[in-house]
Amino acid sequence: MSTQIEQQETETEADEETEPEVESPGERRRAQRDERQAIEEAQRETEEASLDDENTITLKVFRYDPEVEGKQEPRFDDFRVPFHKGMTVLDALIYARDHYDSSLTFRHSCRQAVCGSDALFVNGKQRLGCKTQMSELDDPVRIEPLPHQEVVKDLVVDMEHFYDQMEAVEPYFDADETPDDKLEEQRQTRENREKVKMSTRCIWCGACMSSCNIAAGDNEYLGPAAINKAYRFAMDEREGENRKQERLRIIEQEHGVWRCQTQFSCTEVCPKDIPLTEHIQELKREAVKNNLKFW
Amino acid sequence: MAQHYSSFDRGGRRWLFQRLTAVFLIGVLAFHFMLLHFVNHAADLTFLGTQARMSQVSYFATMWLFLVTATFHGVNGVYNALVNQGLTGSRKNAVKYLLGIAGLLLVVQGTRVSLAMTTLV
Amino acid sequence: MSQSYNRGTVEDFGRWREFSAGMWAWIFHKFTGWVLVGYLFTHIAVLSTSVGVDPASAQAGSDLYTSTISGLESLLIVRFLEVGLLAVAVFHILNGIRLLMVDLGVGLESQDKSFYASLLLTGAIVVASVPTFLGGKLA
Ligand code: HEM
Ligand code: HEM
Ligand code: SF4
Ligand code: FES
Repeated sequence: MSTQIEQQETETEADEETEPEVESPGERRRAQRDERQAIEEAQRETEEASLDDENTITLKVFRYDPEVEGKQEPRFDDFRVPFHKGMTVLDALIYARDHYDSSLTFRHSCRQAVCGSDALFVNGKQRLGCKTQMSELDDPVRIEPLPHQEVVKDLVVDMEHFYDQMEAVEPYFDADETPDDKLEEQRQTRENREKVKMSTRCIWCGACMSSCNIAAGDNEYLGPAAINKAYRFAMDEREGENRKQERLRIIEQEHGVWRCQTQFSCTEVCPKDIPLTEHIQELKREAVKNNLKFW
Repeated sequence: MAQHYSSFDRGGRRWLFQRLTAVFLIGVLAFHFMLLHFVNHAADLTFLGTQARMSQVSYFATMWLFLVTATFHGVNGVYNALVNQGLTGSRKNAVKYLLGIAGLLLVVQGTRVSLAMTTLV
Repeated sequence: MSQSYNRGTVEDFGRWREFSAGMWAWIFHKFTGWVLVGYLFTHIAVLSTSVGVDPASAQAGSDLYTSTISGLESLLIVRFLEVGLLAVAVFHILNGIRLLMVDLGVGLESQDKSFYASLLLTGAIVVASVPTFLGGKLA
């Protein structure tokens, strides 16, 4: 990931601070703004002109902002950014924001596929911005907010519903019995750790939920990420039989595992390579077996 | 979230029956097509031919089970598809009963038909 | 969240080009399933002509049931529809087997290949059956 951008950023700020002398404050502000825009525009033009065709990539970015007149109707903006080896989609977006349009809005934090804040819809697929190489994508690169979630602004979607579904499966370790000595470690066998290993990797990015047809139609469907969370704990042998029964009860509601239609779209988009469909299917079988025992 | 813990129709039974009927239907549907298009040409079907087949206990039983399983599988499949699309509340209940009644009527009429085709009763 | 932009369901179908194997399999399975239930209801309606068949005319082969079926079979369009039905049924069976395997957790890594195999096999079986379906006397 690049860090060269930083220097150029400070240059831009310095340019913006040149103040012309005008009378009324309102006029002054407008003139300032016009000037700033003119400078930015000029800068952008020189910058774009200096880029040679071979090494640039065009981004087509979804823009929308209910609070700004002229952006209430969604549209796509084009940005030409210089390409460098190792550049990710997130790098390209950061470049566009820092050099062309500081109002371009998107979430990001860790830049290393850990925080889960930058799942985006890139060239027709849910991908993590910081984990997707620009070199893998066809030019122009079309970047949109995650489908099936409401757009708050530009590339930012409302994740509330996704988080609610995650909470619904009680995503925390909760053993039937805790050791007498509170400080004693609760050890897991190696085999059991291997079993849940992949399921622990979820970073709550929401890519899977966004790719799922059923989650799009049925708002109550728990969705792949939440079911995978449930799997992570239901399969953890340290929790004990009672807790497991409670967990199965949550996932076998009508809007739980049974809604999964094994389209594999979640498994295909998960940036952490979690075999989501496999886990959901295993929980279905587990629930059926469990009920057969009770009949 | 009380509804999460109700044990009434959690959906697992219907899921299982959908698969079990599917397993049965694989064989029967393939057999049905073979018999009525390749062994007996569809255009040459006659009432007497049908009656002769339907008067064997095993064939009659197979066909009647075919009727019942296909109806369940098909109607349950349609219901599932609608729930997947986000059907909820009273509309969901209405659809549930409507499909249930349609399925029941189909089985009743199918049974009348199968009885008319056989000399067993 | 008073102000936000909902792109609606239009996008689901607008994006069909971006669908992957598993999603196509789902759509085809759905479509074929619905055709099959639809057929089942019609089928029982047609077979209902057997209720109350007069034994004498059955002997002569002029009863309502026999004449209804041969009447239908004499229409070329019905023959074509039957080929369509065969295609639908064969795909639903093959993909149904694929789905049952997926439910058992078998071969999840090759679910896309098994979908393409179902399609190809369906095509092959249908082509091979066309002579039998369209052939035979049209009366
Ligand atoms: C074009 C292909 C088909 C033809 C020509 C055909 C023909 C027939 C005939 C003649 C019978 C009476 C039994 C006999 O003569 O042995 C019958 C019964 C039956 N068929 Fe088909 N059929 C076809 C496809 C299907 C399909 C696709 C289904 C399932 C959706 C189906 C479901 C049934 C059922 C359930 C019965 C039993 C009816 C009862 O017990 O009342 N058939 N079919
Ligand atoms: C012959 C063997 C058959 C097999 C192996 C089979 C298999 C399956 C399976 C596994 C599903 C569930 C898909 C899911 O929920 O993920 C399904 C759905 C369905 N099946 Fe079948 N099936 C067969 C025959 C039939 C017949 C004869 C009918 C019609 C009466 C039928 C109608 C349906 C319908 C309507 C659905 C729901 C489709 C949807 O999701 O919209 N199937 N089938
Ligand atoms: S399961 Fe994968 S795609 Fe879904 S939220 Fe977790 S990391 Fe993201
Ligand atoms: S920025 Fe943290 S996951 Fe991409």
